[in-house]
Amino acid sequence: MATKKLLFVARSLPYKTEASRLALTHAISSQSVEIYLKDGDLVEATIAFVGDGVMNCLKNQQAMKHYGITSIEGHMKNSLLLDMKVMICKEDLAKFGIKEDALLMDADDIGGEVKAQIVPYSEIQKEMESVDHLLFC
Amino acid sequence: MKLGVIMSDYRTGSDVIDRLTAEKLGIIFVGNGVYHAASKEAGKASSILDKTNNLYVLTEDLESRGLTSANLDSRVKAITYSDVVDLIFNDYEKTIWL
Repeated sequence: MATKKLLFVARSLPYKTEASRLALTHAISSQSVEIYLKDGDLVEATIAFVGDGVMNCLKNQQAMKHYGITSIEGHMKNSLLLDMKVMICKEDLAKFGIKEDALLMDADDIGGEVKAQIVPYSEIQKEMESVDHLLFC
Repeated sequence: MKLGVIMSDYRTGSDVIDRLTAEKLGIIFVGNGVYHAASKEAGKASSILDKTNNLYVLTEDLESRGLTSANLDSRVKAITYSDVVDLIFNDYEKTIWL
């Protein structure tokens, strides 16, 4: 029995490229691969937003209204609904002057119990060191 | 030359803008370019906003990213897609996309 830990680090701005969306959707889909694993084996994904990537975490994104596509915010909610650990870099939020109330921090409205965490970069660094696979997007 | 610049990125293109000269220069922020108009880094607004007084941002791209007119630098005017078309056809002889 083993757990493979993955960390997706989203550092790209949303929408112009698919990078941050792919980080989230791959992290989410990693939770469905267990049917292909041996009994007892697990995959545990975490997602961290750093640098420009913190912009993905702003709430009230209206991508469906304007682009006809699901918002990054919606994918973040789904990841929280799946109890995924979501980390947002504190220093990068401060650099942009973004306050917590501007961010999507929970998925309460769809039954999620886990909250996103605003953490110092040092904690994200520790997470990078602790995982088996590291993916920058 | 009356030049309209459609700025669609946040981290690239500033070097080009710095070198451009035009009798009339307009900058329209679209896509990820909207962060020039609506965010500050270390408390400082984007230096591109000092380049001209004719600054516009596409509302659709702003709102899609969870931003609103309230986030905008006061020098930038929020406009719609049809306003962009009007600007291109009526106010500028040439347009470039960065």
